[in-house]
Amino acid sequence: MFKKNRKLQNYSHLAVVFHLPAFLTLTAITLGPLLYTLKISFFDYKISSAGSEDVFVGLQNYIQMFQDMEFINSMLKTFLFMFCAVVLEVILGIALAMALNSIVRFQKIFTSLTLIPMMVAPLIIGLMFSFFLNPQFGLYVWLVDTLHLPLPTVLTDTPMLAMIVVILMDVWEWSPYMGLVFLAGLQSISGEYYEAAKVDGASGSQIFRYVTLPLMKSVLVVGILLRAMETFKEFDKPFILTGGGPGNATEVIDIFTYRQAFVSFNFSYAAAVCVVLFLILQICGMLYQRFAMEGEE
Amino acid sequence: MEKNKKRKLFFIYLFLVVFLIFALLPYVWLILTSFKTRVDAFAIPPKVLFKATLNNYQEAFLDKGFLLNLKNSIIIMLATVGIGLGLGLPSAYAFSRFKTGKDKLLLNYLLGTRFTPVVVLALPLYLLMSKVRLLDSFVGIVIAHVAFNLPFVIWMMKGFFDAIPKEIDEAARVDGYSWFKVFLRIDVPLAKSGLAATAVFCAINSWNEFLMALILTGRHTATMPVGVPGLLTPQGTIWGQIAAVGTVITIPVLLFAILVQKHMIAGMTMGAVK
Repeated sequence: MFKKNRKLQNYSHLAVVFHLPAFLTLTAITLGPLLYTLKISFFDYKISSAGSEDVFVGLQNYIQMFQDMEFINSMLKTFLFMFCAVVLEVILGIALAMALNSIVRFQKIFTSLTLIPMMVAPLIIGLMFSFFLNPQFGLYVWLVDTLHLPLPTVLTDTPMLAMIVVILMDVWEWSPYMGLVFLAGLQSISGEYYEAAKVDGASGSQIFRYVTLPLMKSVLVVGILLRAMETFKEFDKPFILTGGGPGNATEVIDIFTYRQAFVSFNFSYAAAVCVVLFLILQICGMLYQRFAMEGEE
Repeated sequence: MEKNKKRKLFFIYLFLVVFLIFALLPYVWLILTSFKTRVDAFAIPPKVLFKATLNNYQEAFLDKGFLLNLKNSIIIMLATVGIGLGLGLPSAYAFSRFKTGKDKLLLNYLLGTRFTPVVVLALPLYLLMSKVRLLDSFVGIVIAHVAFNLPFVIWMMKGFFDAIPKEIDEAARVDGYSWFKVFLRIDVPLAKSGLAATAVFCAINSWNEFLMALILTGRHTATMPVGVPGLLTPQGTIWGQIAAVGTVITIPVLLFAILVQKHMIAGMTMGAVK
């Protein structure tokens, strides 16, 4: 008993020594800067007026935010983008996972190749789509012309079409990822469940509805929440393809914040937006953790 | 019945092949364009067969100075991986071996960082670094990349250390090894495949990262992604060169990613899906 106690004490000492470098650094380079953001969000810091860093304005930036149509627009655009992208990614992901799960031959090669889209830098994905859709030499325009498809040829000039393209870029990048996450979930389901269902005379769709889906619930939720949170980090692809345009049709929240901070240099206002974003993401993060940990047990 | 099954299988393969064509076509197109002359790149109908040229690579990397961006990308990537692993490994090891009552709190803290959007951290880092003159320095951008990669390192490596049986440590302890020695000489070498996966993961994160680099780097430290928008000029976009840079950015990533693909999904879900 005594020995065990001593051992525990030793451990906590060691734990401190081993944890210290990482957590000191992390606190200095993330928590510190984040607290600084919180502080300046209550001030009037902008580049256009000298000494504005010390002008305390209380909650004014936050009040301004909820009256700012551009902010509200970009929030709505972000949610629209998130909803459409995640729904499509889940549907395609499930289809891909089930297809990969039901083949034996070439399964490995197919799985490896599926990894490619999500490994390509998001910036390059934006570029590839500009290539593909380029009105002068893009493959897309040529396909529409030669096959006489009833589709518009110039996509990024119309607000709604531009949004669709931005959504499809994300679907292109992340559906394979959803597929692989769900595949991992499918492969963890024991075959006994399926056999039992078959013995009971369940049809294919019934098995999917009453066996596969319920057992996949936590994996599905993990995938959905993770992607939903990542949409708040969406920046590179629309930035390079549409620049948030036309107008501000595809100005998702990160592009809005970037513009406020680094184009208009309204630091305090951007900081207030950052605080709100941070809080939203932490709430999603807590939800995610609950489901992720549930899956663990 | 047998025929039905075969038909079903045929449609499954068809679906997968179509899916893969969609997934790979834009990328293949990018690579092809990088080897085309200006005339071939604009040809209609698009040319699949053409005389390959390395001009785009030469112009982008030698004449436009992307060699410097390439060098910067490599420096920043190596520093991020080195510092991330150096700081993260001991902590991951402690989570696995020296459990304390505070572990849950610390892990939540890590996840909190993981969920912070890049732009939220970019703003204060930019303002603070402009005060201490760290903008356009390697130190500045490496700090930013470490901030995002450190939680990843700890989370991933914790899993790999957990997989090493504790009996091995105990045997070494009996032989008179200190815990530091057990960690460095025994468990780190045993976790080397996990270590490689984690390193690759961080390297890709840093290599592909755009927003932080756009804000924190400047003329001397710009990475390859940061240089790309500069090729989209109002006088006309030089697609061939963009494609060349894009190809150079992605090829190493794909090679490394395929090497460690087994661990990729675990890393990207922070271990929620194995």
